Amino acid sequence: MIVCVAVVGHQNNPLYIQSFTDADDALKLHHIVHCSLDVVDERVNNPKKSGPTLNETFLGLLYPTENYKVYGYLTNTKVKFILVTTDLDVRDADVRNFFRRFHAAYVDAVSNPFHVPGKKITSRTFAERVSTIVKSFGLSSAG
Amino acid sequence: MEEYPEEFRSPPVRLVALVGCPEQHGLISTHFLSQQPPINTLALPHFSKLSLLLHRSSKSSSSSSAAGILKRDWLVKHRTKIPAVVGALFLWDHVSGDPAQWVQVCSDLDELKAAIRPRNIKLLLLVVVGQSDEISEDRLLALRKRAEVDSKYLLLFNPDPSQLNNSLQRLGASFAELATTFYRDEGRRIKAPIEKKNLSSLDLQVRYCFKVAVYAEFRRDWVEALRFYEDAYHALREMVATSTRLPPIQRLLEIRTVAEHLHFKISTLLLHGGKLIEAVTWFRQHIVSYKNLVGPPKVIFLHWEWLSRQFLVFAELLDSSSATLQSVSSLPLGTVEQPLTEWEFHPAYYYQSAAQHLEEKRSSLELAVSISEAFNDNDDGSAESVVQSIYIGQFARLLEQGDDLAMQFLTDDEYTLYAIAEGKRFQDSFEIIALLKKSHEMYTNLKVQRMGSLCAFQIGREYFSLGDFGNAKQLFDGVANLYRQEGWVTLLWEVLGYLRECSRKQGAVKEFVEFSLEMAALPISTIGSIQTSKCGPGGPASLEQRDMIHTEIFALVSGEARPISLDGTDDLKDNTLHLEIDLVSPLRSVLLASVAFHEQIIKSGVSSLITLSLLAQLPLSIEIDQLEVQFNQFECNFIIMNAKKCPLEAVPSEQHDHRVESAPSLALVPNKWLRLTYDIKSEQSGKLECLSVIAKMGPHFTICCRAESPASMDDLPLWKFEDRVETFPTKDPALSFSGQKATQVEEPDPQVDVTLGASGPALVGERFLVPVTIASRDHTIYAGEMKINLVDVRGGGLFSPRESEPFSMDSHHVELLGIVGPEGEDESQRGPDKIKKIQQSFGLVSVPFLNIGESWSCKLEIMWHRPKPVMLFVSLGYSPNSNELNAQKVNVHKTLRIEGKNAVLISQHFMLPFRRDSLLLSRIKPVSDSSKFVSLPLHETTVLVVSAKNCSEVTLQLLSMAIEVDDDGIEKSWSIQHGGEDLGTAVLVPGEEFKKVFTVIPQVDSSKLRLGMVHLKWKRHCGIEDRSGLTVTDAHVLTKHELPDVHVELSPIVVSLDCPPYAILGDPFVFCVKIRNQKELLQEVKFSLADSQSFVLTGSHSDTVFVLPKSEHVLYYKVVPLASGLQQLPRISLTSVRYSARFQPSSAASTVFIFPSKPHCKMAGITDQGLESIIAD
Repeated sequence: MIVCVAVVGHQNNPLYIQSFTDADDALKLHHIVHCSLDVVDERVNNPKKSGPTLNETFLGLLYPTENYKVYGYLTNTKVKFILVTTDLDVRDADVRNFFRRFHAAYVDAVSNPFHVPGKKITSRTFAERVSTIVKSFGLSSAG
Repeated sequence: MEEYPEEFRSPPVRLVALVGCPEQHGLISTHFLSQQPPINTLALPHFSKLSLLLHRSSKSSSSSSAAGILKRDWLVKHRTKIPAVVGALFLWDHVSGDPAQWVQVCSDLDELKAAIRPRNIKLLLLVVVGQSDEISEDRLLALRKRAEVDSKYLLLFNPDPSQLNNSLQRLGASFAELATTFYRDEGRRIKAPIEKKNLSSLDLQVRYCFKVAVYAEFRRDWVEALRFYEDAYHALREMVATSTRLPPIQRLLEIRTVAEHLHFKISTLLLHGGKLIEAVTWFRQHIVSYKNLVGPPKVIFLHWEWLSRQFLVFAELLDSSSATLQSVSSLPLGTVEQPLTEWEFHPAYYYQSAAQHLEEKRSSLELAVSISEAFNDNDDGSAESVVQSIYIGQFARLLEQGDDLAMQFLTDDEYTLYAIAEGKRFQDSFEIIALLKKSHEMYTNLKVQRMGSLCAFQIGREYFSLGDFGNAKQLFDGVANLYRQEGWVTLLWEVLGYLRECSRKQGAVKEFVEFSLEMAALPISTIGSIQTSKCGPGGPASLEQRDMIHTEIFALVSGEARPISLDGTDDLKDNTLHLEIDLVSPLRSVLLASVAFHEQIIKSGVSSLITLSLLAQLPLSIEIDQLEVQFNQFECNFIIMNAKKCPLEAVPSEQHDHRVESAPSLALVPNKWLRLTYDIKSEQSGKLECLSVIAKMGPHFTICCRAESPASMDDLPLWKFEDRVETFPTKDPALSFSGQKATQVEEPDPQVDVTLGASGPALVGERFLVPVTIASRDHTIYAGEMKINLVDVRGGGLFSPRESEPFSMDSHHVELLGIVGPEGEDESQRGPDKIKKIQQSFGLVSVPFLNIGESWSCKLEIMWHRPKPVMLFVSLGYSPNSNELNAQKVNVHKTLRIEGKNAVLISQHFMLPFRRDSLLLSRIKPVSDSSKFVSLPLHETTVLVVSAKNCSEVTLQLLSMAIEVDDDGIEKSWSIQHGGEDLGTAVLVPGEEFKKVFTVIPQVDSSKLRLGMVHLKWKRHCGIEDRSGLTVTDAHVLTKHELPDVHVELSPIVVSLDCPPYAILGDPFVFCVKIRNQKELLQEVKFSLADSQSFVLTGSHSDTVFVLPKSEHVLYYKVVPLASGLQQLPRISLTSVRYSARFQPSSAASTVFIFPSKPHCKMAGITDQGLESIIAD
């Protein structure tokens, strides 16, 4: 289950962060997302390590925690997407698929002429779409 | 890692024992230790000691009931007590000695054999021989038989220094070989039942696998050791569900403890083998397989403690082995199925996790303690005298029964009580802080700032819970900075909540207010708010909480209420609270002051508008009592009072020196600019900048806000990411983009006229006067000072003395000679304070006090040395108001371009007398150095015509023209005659030329003769109108002109033509050519005469004549003119043979006018006279 998704802007500031958990650990999730930016920085700054994944937007597993897995994604405009999930065995394909759909939703949201680039995304439509994508995570792979 | 016993932490070392001959033990054991791999030695002086050692241990091993998995002392026993090999040392003297000694040897051997046989310990015989001993094979054989050892295990040991090394080498090899054999045999013996799978229980399997692995380690067979440790580990994991030997809590405890030990061994082996990825993967599996074995809830803290220890130990292992690791970035990041991430290779991550689990342990322990206290308040001492039992991971009660000690098993409840009691004894917080500090340090070294900040935050939280607010605040401050910078509002909120509580606890009111205001001004919206109970002391990040903090703070600062538990502070009423908000302060969102002048440049004394805009992002609106606006010119400061709160009359008296304005309302509504526009007037020119705006709220609270220009204002931090309506600080959007908090105040307009009277061109050489008039219109002039500058029009710079040729007059083509004061004012009448400074191109003169309407004038005297245009700059600086030294100066500037021109152009030319030519050799054969000069014949008269042309635009009056000889010595070299000095009133209109004729007779033969200077005195001709204002009329100007040098030489032949001035048609006349030889030599002259159409002549056409020295030869011709008018006489040409110089008189000289008939008027005489006089001169 996905517990948190986040969009992080150029100055590593959160543009959108939403947790999908009933437990009281939203703050912890914020910490996790924030810390995972270190890994994103590290991977972006040392692309050598990524080897075959050069020029790829999907950054893979970022951050080990015992209960969560954190995945990252970097758009062409250097906006970062972070995904925190509690599923301990996640297929890369699922995550990639999720990020692709999430990216599409993000692009639609920021294409809104009333949206100012670099500001937080407050669109309700975007939030609804994200929660749909989150809910369907993993289902498509099962089928 | 330190909690593990030493035998676990280091790889096992083989152990051998030496018996007998104690004097040799030191040598041998030292040698064994230095071997690679080393061998530990048990040195027993006497044979009986060995049996004692082995006997006791063999007794305890007899009870082999499966009461536990691993015995605590098994490993240490094998490392320190049970040798693999026993080396029995005998002296050769004893072996070969008398029968009694032999019997003793045999009995010792028997005792030894009996002791070591049950344990399969290998035996090695050492016979210590001396240098002189003779070895008898028989005795050795007997000894070997007795001991039942192979022949190669009977060694002779010679302690003699020459043999010692050899002996030791052999000894070492044999001992090592036997030890390996022993450990291999033991390993095989234990391995057999495992391989046959006929072990009765998993307990035994774990134990046997462990033992095999240990024996393999003794042999340094790491691969086998690893394999059997892993087997043991897997078997152990299976026991979790199956074993029933112990009560559940203790069972789990034992399994976990054993697993921990096995895991430690495995990790150590993997890391020492350099298999980092395998080690990390193994650790991860280890954690995964035990993570869910939490056990019953009341002892769940044991689980967390255990997990924390796993992380800590692995971190320490990684840390100690990381020296040999390459950098993480070069490592492959796991496989596709099991991707590993960067941090999993860093000990920092494990330290951090250990700390996190320890926190979990602490909270569950606290829970367990509270439960146990609630239900079991009678401490019956059941936790006392509980010790670790002989098995690893088991605890038992030690019972004293007389002298004997007995172990009694515990029930789970008893154990739980014991564990809780033990747990209470430790202060986990310090442990957590130490772990986090380590992690923080490592992350910081790696420049991983966010992880590091999280650690710092956690450390801060621990300090906070410990009550160490100083340390906590320091850490939180650093973390808060990062979150502020990156705009993580919710995280910042949490940290600020802690900071706020810290300052509250420390009683730091100012900081408390600052943090509270910052929290209240955080952009926490309803969308992103987190409703969670696990939040810091700042409460949940929500709009309601912001409101609450806001209300609390403003109640505090207004003095209405004291906040709860703000201990140790004096009442706010006693001391004021002053906050400073600068451009980088996080409190900018609390109050932002933007100040814009409407004009970029304002006139001094003219009022202009200034707009003051204030913005607060607090959740509720606030009311400001009074605003003070401060400028760099403090006279401009003014105060705005809130009319509602404080009526104008109630302004305290000490503020009366500032302007006080009143505004109907000074309420700041969230996210809405409060715009106030006021007049501003400055009397002082220069920069006028608004520095700060001080808002006063309540009697004791002020906020000083640095003023910002709207044009260069940064966005509010944090709020800039919010999607909100942005408004302009000023009503006029253009002003928002361009408005500045500073403006330039111009000096007041000068009310004084400065007139420069002259215009027309100045003439070179004259003292040109420029009248300057200073007339005051509206200003009185105090301390007036006039500066005069002459500047080259082409930008050649000032004619200052600093120019390249400071001593040459040439560098000052135009010179300021002086300043003539107004009529009637004498130099001496000026006060001593009056300044008058004149340099060539710069002048400074002070202007006296002038009242309104008065005027003052002076004249500047400027002299041109060269014709060139210059710019004249005159600037007047004065202070219009008073005589104060620092009073504002007003400056008036005037410029005038003045052309400088030559007044007259003087030229000269030389003429020989009419019809008289001298043969000048230098003219015929030019010599290089004399060619540039005009040549004049010696002792002959030469006519010099000097002409002066008026090339200016004004009429000039010439006063005199003369040739002055400057050097007396040269005077006699030539004589000069000219007409009268006085020219009368020779007036030259522009363009007119004046000529004067001089005759020159050179007296000295010289190749270069100076003729002197033409001195022309002139002045401007003032006609009818009086132009005395322009020039000094009575002063004449002397223009000098240097005459060119001439070349004087003696001419050998002088030819003169003689003919009447005119002739009449048909009337014959005589025309003679006189050839005069001036030399002392005979001259041969050829001549020829060309015919002319207009004349008929008699006389020889061509001939050669000889002219005697110093005499004259005359050629006579009688000619009859045939045509009237100006006619060319027949031209004669002469050739001097001596000088081979051809010479012909000029055609002008051989021209004559022919009248058609005799003229009737009597003019011939006059003409004759005139001609005569010219020639005579």
